[in-house]
Amino acid sequence: MKTLTIVLTDGPYISEYAEIACKLAESALKQCHVNIFLYLDAVHIPKKGQNPSFFTNTGELFAGLAEKGAVIRACARCAASRGYTAEEETENGSNCRDYTPGIKISSLYELSEMLSKSDRVISL
Amino acid sequence: MKSVFYLLDTAPYGSEKAFGALNAAAVSLNKMHVVLGLYGDGVYLVAAGQDSNKLGVPNLSDILYSYGELNVLVHEPSLIERGLFGETLIETMELVDEKDFLEAMESSDCVILF
Repeated sequence: MKTLTIVLTDGPYISEYAEIACKLAESALKQCHVNIFLYLDAVHIPKKGQNPSFFTNTGELFAGLAEKGAVIRACARCAASRGYTAEEETENGSNCRDYTPGIKISSLYELSEMLSKSDRVISL
Repeated sequence: MKSVFYLLDTAPYGSEKAFGALNAAAVSLNKMHVVLGLYGDGVYLVAAGQDSNKLGVPNLSDILYSYGELNVLVHEPSLIERGLFGETLIETMELVDEKDFLEAMESSDCVILF
């Protein structure tokens, strides 16, 4: 099975990249393995309890993707600098209490791991 | 993927993008062939003698210099447009023209934009 990795660097709602990534990932999941790495401001995407007025809640969108099998990881340094901390015990497949289920905070080395094992990479 | 091209077209300070690109490039060095391509305002990263003390952030030019094994390509037309041609630049980089810059991007397995 081939692997697609999507790298996101922008936060939600400032652009449509999160929604575009979600649509691409949903489609790709039908035939390949999908990794998503959240870097820089993209670590805000899976925040719990978002309530955007005019846009789809990206936290819920990405939780849905994780439930369908996408591996979604956020950079630990970027997350920590924005107030999201990783804990040892995982709940609902996440290791951050401020994140929606299925999304974990991980080392930046996982980005390199994902890229090296991918057949295709999309950067948004 | 065996190679990755990190494309930075934003200035080194004022956002976290240059720092993020440098960190991402550093962690990829052991696994893949890595190129850091500097384009547009990204070329300011190679200006030597930066002083970022008052900004309270690390000197990114020094960090870049310390990654001697990193292949750094600088888009020469961007450098000229910004009046940096002839200024003192860090030594661990290669100036390339438009054609060579694009060829390096095309020959990489993936491009990550910052």
